[in-house]
Amino acid sequence: MNGAVSISVREVCKSFRRFPALHGVSLEFEAGRMHGIIGPEGSGKTTLLRIMLGLLVPAQGRVEYFEDGRPADFEALRPSLAYMPQTQSLYPDLSIDEHLEFFRDLYSLPREIYARKREELLGVTRLAGFVDRPAGQLSGGMYKKLGLMCALLRSPRVMVLDEPTTGVDPISRRELWDLLYRLLDENVLILVTTAYLDEAERCSKVHLVELGRVVAAGEPRRLLEVEGARSFDELFMRRAAASAP
Amino acid sequence: MINRTLAAFIKKELLQALRDPRMKFILFVAPIVQMTLFGVALSNEVKNIRLAARFDAKDMVMRQVYDRAIQGGWFVPARAAGAGTDDPFELIRSNRADAVLVPPPGGFTRALGRGGAPLQLLIDATDVNQAQAVEAYLRAIIQDVLKDDAGLAPPAPTIRLDVRVLFNPSLNTSLFMVPGVMTMLMVLTTLVLTQIAIVREKELGTFEMLISAPVSKAEVIFGKTLPYVIIGMANLPLLLLVAVFVFHVPIRGSLAALVLATLVFVCTTVAMGTLISTFCANQQQASMGGFLFIFPAIMFSGIIFPIENMPASLHWLSFIDPLAHYLTLLRNIMLKGGDARTLAWHIGVLAVLAIASGVASFRRFHTTLS
Repeated sequence: MNGAVSISVREVCKSFRRFPALHGVSLEFEAGRMHGIIGPEGSGKTTLLRIMLGLLVPAQGRVEYFEDGRPADFEALRPSLAYMPQTQSLYPDLSIDEHLEFFRDLYSLPREIYARKREELLGVTRLAGFVDRPAGQLSGGMYKKLGLMCALLRSPRVMVLDEPTTGVDPISRRELWDLLYRLLDENVLILVTTAYLDEAERCSKVHLVELGRVVAAGEPRRLLEVEGARSFDELFMRRAAASAP
Repeated sequence: MINRTLAAFIKKELLQALRDPRMKFILFVAPIVQMTLFGVALSNEVKNIRLAARFDAKDMVMRQVYDRAIQGGWFVPARAAGAGTDDPFELIRSNRADAVLVPPPGGFTRALGRGGAPLQLLIDATDVNQAQAVEAYLRAIIQDVLKDDAGLAPPAPTIRLDVRVLFNPSLNTSLFMVPGVMTMLMVLTTLVLTQIAIVREKELGTFEMLISAPVSKAEVIFGKTLPYVIIGMANLPLLLLVAVFVFHVPIRGSLAALVLATLVFVCTTVAMGTLISTFCANQQQASMGGFLFIFPAIMFSGIIFPIENMPASLHWLSFIDPLAHYLTLLRNIMLKGGDARTLAWHIGVLAVLAIASGVASFRRFHTTLS
């Protein structure tokens, strides 16, 4: 449970019924950093994540996993990858506590570790007062926080979040980000996709994806300097204007 | 075999199924209500046949035939016909009677006295089953009347059959129909619920999280299906109580055999439900798929139409129909006491069907999204 995980995506292509989603995408993700995959809707972000998690098989190219710099087998690493899908992924009729207990047993967590984790996560998310409320009756932000809690119950080494802040109010968005920063201290590789371009600056490294291609990658401020833009909004607007007929 | 992950699944699934009051109703109340209703209503006994007979007041034998038919409970008098309905054909054509008895000119009594007795019977055969039953009933009644009341020897049939009806001497149709209704209700609850439970995970998006969790394919499949085997088995005592106390259907065979047969049957329907759900992306498709399975499964099971009446080239459909085997098992165990050979054969076939559909759904059950 201690090796730092890094992932390289090499020349990955994927299409759905002749509709191409990714064209030869290559990316490097390193442990202990917050990687943002930024791009407009429909740019292939979710497909990329699903391929990295083994939920989709790429048509071409491959994904390589490393543990402390040495190549590692995906199946061996799989239990330490946590994923929070973008779409609703909780049971509307089960309460917060019932979700946590279900995932506790799904991950075979020992009781005492579970008790400590539960306490800690409920404290950070400030959901302790709502443990009996069914997920279907939670607000957008609370719902996302519960999804994140379920994923974080098992101390993952790679945390993959697909648009965790979409549909979440500004205060909860901030709390979600704070929750993610705490993970960085534990040398976790975090991968976040977002369509909110202002959130790009919260990441330690950003990968700009557009129409199934990586168009730029690097530290957010450096990237803006190189591109000569003041913000990612501006950068994307300019690119959109340039590619328009 | 049951590890913690699997136990968590089963607990979660039962929690979800039993939390919703509507679901509780569907699971436990609806089967009892349906069982009672269907058991009463579904009968292939023909009753309430509207009988008309035109005869003279002095025609004693004719009167006795008519009275006996009405007293027997199968027939009711056709509504008093208005003017201009002396034509027996018109009575049937205008749907005022289902059967009309027409005595020969001069009356049936007199005709009998003369030796020849052409009594005409008109039957509405738009419903063939009913027409056949009407003919058989009236033939029997007339023979009885001639023998008992008129003191005349009935026209002697060339062959006399001494029929003894075994296991259901009063030809009580509920004895026959209740196992059929039980079979239908069992398949409805188990197959449809399993399908919906699996497809709902796909629809909710929770499936994506489950398959990305460190959980094996077997754990997901058994975790999603075992709860419905449990729920199906929980339905058995409820249905048996209705069968025994409402319809007085006996359980002549061993209860253990009945439970074993039901367990194997429920495993088969749950496995088939799982298989169908691997072809469905949403709940509409799942309900449609379930219907496409259940409808022919009932038709070929022998619950409504005897399998013997189907063309031999289609008998294999009944052979792969789990309902046909369970129905035979139920009727055999409950009414006849269950002989080891019949039980072993049908339970064996059900087990093979369960394993085949289980293996097929296991192969089709993807742990990827593509």
